[in-house]
Amino acid sequence: MTRFRVTHRTEYAYGRPMADGFTALHVTPRATAGQAVLAVDLQIDPAPDEMETVEDDFGNMVTLLAVHVPHAALVVHSVIDVDVVAPAPVGEDVPWEAVAEAAASARGDLVLEIGPYLAHTEQTPLVGGLSGLGSLTAEFAPGRGVVEATRALCHRIFEEFRFDPGFTDVTTPLATVLAERRGVCQDFAHVTVAALRSVGLPARYVSGYIETAPPPGQPKLTGVDASHAWCSVWAGPLGWLDLDPTNDQMPPQRHVTVGWGRDYHDVPPVRGVVIGAGGDQTLTVAVDVTALD
Amino acid sequence: MSLDTLRYAPAPGHFDEVTGVDGAAREVWRGVARALGPLDPATLLERQRQADRLLDAEGTGHLVHDLSVAVGRHSAEAVAARSESHPWRLDPIPYLIERAEFDWLAAAAVQRMRVLEAVLADCYGPRSLVATGLLPGRVLHGLTSHRPAAGGPGAVHRWLTTYALDVARDRHGAWHVVADSTDAPTGLGYSLLNRGVLTRLLPDGLRAAGAAPIHETADELRRALAAAAPSDRRSPRTVLLTPGPASDTYVEQSYLATRLGVHLVEGADVVMRQGRMWLRSIDGLEPVDVVHRRLDDARLDPLEPGHVGGGVGVPGVVWGARAGGVVLANAYGSALAEEAAIGDVLADAAIALHGEALRLAQLPLGAAMATSPVFDRSGAALHPRPVVVRLQVIRRGDDHVVMAGGAGRVLAAGDDAARPSAQIAKDVWVVGGLPSRPVRVVAPPQVNFGSSVPTRVADSMYWLGRAAERAEVATRALRVVAQQLEQDPTLVTVEEGAWALGARALLRAAQAVPAAPDDGTPVGEWLSTEVGAAARAAGAQLVALVQEAASVREYLSATTGRVLGRLARAQTELQQAAPSPDDLDAVLADLAALSGLATESTVRGPAWRFLDLGRRIERALAVLGATEAALGPATGPMALQSLAEATLAAHESLVAYRRMYRSDVDLDAVLDLLLHDDTNPRSVAFQIDRLREHALGLGWPDGGRHVEDAAIALLSRVDDGVGGGRRVSLDGLVISVRGPLLALADAVVRRWFADPVNPTVVRGQ
Repeated sequence: MTRFRVTHRTEYAYGRPMADGFTALHVTPRATAGQAVLAVDLQIDPAPDEMETVEDDFGNMVTLLAVHVPHAALVVHSVIDVDVVAPAPVGEDVPWEAVAEAAASARGDLVLEIGPYLAHTEQTPLVGGLSGLGSLTAEFAPGRGVVEATRALCHRIFEEFRFDPGFTDVTTPLATVLAERRGVCQDFAHVTVAALRSVGLPARYVSGYIETAPPPGQPKLTGVDASHAWCSVWAGPLGWLDLDPTNDQMPPQRHVTVGWGRDYHDVPPVRGVVIGAGGDQTLTVAVDVTALD
Repeated sequence: MSLDTLRYAPAPGHFDEVTGVDGAAREVWRGVARALGPLDPATLLERQRQADRLLDAEGTGHLVHDLSVAVGRHSAEAVAARSESHPWRLDPIPYLIERAEFDWLAAAAVQRMRVLEAVLADCYGPRSLVATGLLPGRVLHGLTSHRPAAGGPGAVHRWLTTYALDVARDRHGAWHVVADSTDAPTGLGYSLLNRGVLTRLLPDGLRAAGAAPIHETADELRRALAAAAPSDRRSPRTVLLTPGPASDTYVEQSYLATRLGVHLVEGADVVMRQGRMWLRSIDGLEPVDVVHRRLDDARLDPLEPGHVGGGVGVPGVVWGARAGGVVLANAYGSALAEEAAIGDVLADAAIALHGEALRLAQLPLGAAMATSPVFDRSGAALHPRPVVVRLQVIRRGDDHVVMAGGAGRVLAAGDDAARPSAQIAKDVWVVGGLPSRPVRVVAPPQVNFGSSVPTRVADSMYWLGRAAERAEVATRALRVVAQQLEQDPTLVTVEEGAWALGARALLRAAQAVPAAPDDGTPVGEWLSTEVGAAARAAGAQLVALVQEAASVREYLSATTGRVLGRLARAQTELQQAAPSPDDLDAVLADLAALSGLATESTVRGPAWRFLDLGRRIERALAVLGATEAALGPATGPMALQSLAEATLAAHESLVAYRRMYRSDVDLDAVLDLLLHDDTNPRSVAFQIDRLREHALGLGWPDGGRHVEDAAIALLSRVDDGVGGGRRVSLDGLVISVRGPLLALADAVVRRWFADPVNPTVVRGQ
């Protein structure tokens, strides 16, 4: 078990004072089988006139806040302590077709749980053609184990795609990412879940953080200075298994989960609307994740 | 049968509304054909003309012309969007449904609304359709119209308050479903509007045919919306939320808001605070309990993922509705029920959730439909055309009411039945069965919106007042100069062009553009160009006027629509060719009518006060500008005579002057009439008196101080001092009166209208 402290600061500067602002945050981690949330300290500047934290339709914690006084900037500062348990070793691999078949024929509570994660959404569409998902799903050869094939897919995305901050933003279509073979962690997570869903495997988009400084002797990971994103595949009897294509890790190590959904839009760290004369927006994000001993 | 005279010939063996399948007149038509009277080409053509005129007069004329509308005056990126409204024609022949058949259809529509309600409650709640495998989870959760924020434990308990169902007969005469509207159903207002027209066209026909009245449906809707309010509200307040004047159904929304007696609000007119909705009014924030939502799910709340349309909508409204602070009718997420994927499983869902088989089946794609006679104006003949009928269902508590009639839409060649281009509408009559009640002609009531006026409305009324006055001033100045020139072409040479320079300055002052200095260019080279530019400017002012009026038409009297329709057409002529004095007189007559309607037919509430405030400020500034432009130059007596007459005439004071003085022009007397005479409704003094009343009426001492400053400045005497070729004393007076008036205009905007701007979505990380 590792105890992590996450410090996440987001600052929006609007250029001019805004009369009104509404913001939805996904920064408070949800409790999971492998993660206990110990403390959450959320500071908002200016002090919000309205604020409440509720559970959304995916079981994530969403904080809704509103500022009704003129403000030229909004700062969201969170300090969170969590205990993370390393995932147990996975059981014996099962053929991926059997998992896909189980997913397709699921009924009752199981289909309610996995159904949303079989859907192709706007950010995770079924993209055909040579440069599309088809070239990636070749890893799903007949009879291959679902864990082995997923791990191969994860590795392949890591090898074939270049981490290139600045090339994409949250509105870049998946087809562009696939054609150019570059992007950031959100894009790699979208590519991975779209590929998994295209062969009939339920897959979640996961939002969270990774440890900033690596343990001694290990390389620094990519995506440490901002929110991170990875994914999770439903492997039938083996349950949900996380994988991080940006760092070629399955299972991921040193990760703190905030929440999950079908794609980025279901769990954006911050989504906001301001009312006021337009100015030049600037966004500054700083994330620090440290293991507490 | 009287239709024979038009050689109406539907395809044999194909069900027709009049002749059925076998070609013989159907029972329902035999009765009504007599009630409709002679249906010869001449009668139908006359009725069509009358219908067009009445529809135009109902206020649709000026909204459906191809003009751009102003969108988001306050937004940083204010844009002019093209109105999506299109003119439609109402067929002079109604569409008939026999009572027993209608009752069967109504029951089927209610059943379908109940099933769709159950499907929405299930998809956003327990999802039993998914759990049982009827509706695959990957399908439901892949639909963009399925809104995660609408579901879960906080989901609403009521999804649909209004529902519209499109039905049509197939070629054998059997009814089928064409489409469901659950997101923001349209058509109720159109139905009332169309029926209003046919009632005036065929009052005896409706009675004799025993057509069921439909006007009570608006009252049903009003009651249903009030009943949907959160239970702790004693006298709930409802608003109709519109996407704005650029919406393709704005005509209907505006008409319906008037019929319901509720405010028509745009997103920027309301604001969410502590989970409740508030209307921005000139008196501050006023609570809103129920929203009749005509802004669709996708554009409702910019805080929601998947929101489209940039800044449109009300941020935080979905959050507030979940918390129960405001009720959305229909609820956010209702668009899901319109999805083809839902339609595909609806028959099974009806049995699974409702225990009943659906009474109406879907019309197969591309299936041949039944026909109805539709009048073709150009050929003065009747042609068989397919018609889609829209039924309106309203739910109040657990009761459902189906409007006994509605709007039919005639399919044009190549139309998709679910999305008709709808250039021709049919009024649908439900006939027979019940004893016919007296038909009453229902005119939209003059709604007294009381003391509550949305800030945006006050804003638009103010600018409407200014635009109306500006249009009148520009048009009249043009008319006066053109007339003087026509009567005496030698004026151009008077005092080496002094008249021409003064006339040019007068035209330019009327357009609020600076006068050009005399650069010695011969008058003949520029005067006609100048007149043409003034005509175009006057046309542009008419456009501004019609645009401002579009967003506040429910505050203007019903007749105003007819005048605005004519002005919308007139602006085209002004912008194109050199207008004749006759054209200009017609425009001036309409502008006078508009002014009269504002004075005599508008409730004297705060909305009117802002309209008049705008008009008075603009008129005072215009008189000062004209005086400065035409009488400021120290011309000789010849030019002064003509220019003084022009200035008086441009401000409707020449006749008064001649009656009072019966002499040649005397400058002091002219200035007294234009500036100081508080009995002359065109004088600056008269405007100041009205402005003083408005400042008092608004309880606005800061505004009153600007008015008093102007009044004091107006008291100073004008002597005949001349310097630099100008009457300096007159110039001084104009400047000292204009200053406080401009300060007042500025203060009006800052005090009363500042604030609402469209929201901006901040960037993600």
